[in-house]
Amino acid sequence: MSIREILAAIAFLAAVVFGVAGLAGLFRFPDPYSRLQAGSLLGTTSVLSIFIGTLLLSPNGAVAARVVVIMLFFLISSPTGSHIVARFTWNIGTHPWRPKSEEKKKQRKAGTGKDEAAPEENP
Amino acid sequence: MSIETRWKLIRFLITALSMFGLWLIFTARFELFSLVTGLGGSFFVAALTYEIFIPRHQAGINFFVPRPFHLILYLFLMIFFIYKSSLAVLVSVVTGRVNPRIVHFRTSLKSDMARMVLANSITMTPGTITLDLNDDHLTVHWFFSTTSHSKVAGNEVKGEIEKHLKKVWL
Repeated sequence: MSIREILAAIAFLAAVVFGVAGLAGLFRFPDPYSRLQAGSLLGTTSVLSIFIGTLLLSPNGAVAARVVVIMLFFLISSPTGSHIVARFTWNIGTHPWRPKSEEKKKQRKAGTGKDEAAPEENP
Repeated sequence: MSIETRWKLIRFLITALSMFGLWLIFTARFELFSLVTGLGGSFFVAALTYEIFIPRHQAGINFFVPRPFHLILYLFLMIFFIYKSSLAVLVSVVTGRVNPRIVHFRTSLKSDMARMVLANSITMTPGTITLDLNDDHLTVHWFFSTTSHSKVAGNEVKGEIEKHLKKVWL
């Protein structure tokens, strides 16, 4: 195996790891925003890793240029898609989920009379 | 030639040339037939769509034509940031230690293009998703939030990206 093939294999392996983690994250968190975070970001990284592996294996400059253009369009389209899903979830009025440990911390802080210096802004 | 017609012509030519550049990359052929077909096709499509591709109210060339050197630098930086943030999300998926929250902040970028790219970059990079972009006001769902103060949160989420984007577009 040449060095290019080894690097490509590493990229494909990274794609598998990120993809499996994204799938796990999709089922692990309770609310749509957090699921979208894990699913969209790790999915994007997984596909991007596959493209980088393809770029390393491409036989000549013409194919490599095409892969780069496809990569650019993917980098534009993928976050736009997840933004649209998140935007409509927000417009419906879904509240984001807060983990229980964080809520407890906040209550303890409020109990001692020392709130966070910043004013609470969230609706 | 009035300034209105000249602006129309400039927008049309930029649209046509960017389409022709894409055609050249995708076909990767330099025969006469291929070149003429591509040129004719890109001019035809540009005549139909230049109004949408570059809106009339854009104030100058630098508002939508990127500076090439800084754009390439930005792309490499972006790929590095994507891997960094997806490692952070990967760790959080395994450990379950997250603190999601919704924050608001403003951006100081001027052009529509730069704001769109900023919103898209924020959707990917430090574990955040842009929920809404209203002129210069962003609503963001932040996965690893440390504060809810608008200015501090803005600096932490967009600080680095915005600094580089200012060099690419206006």
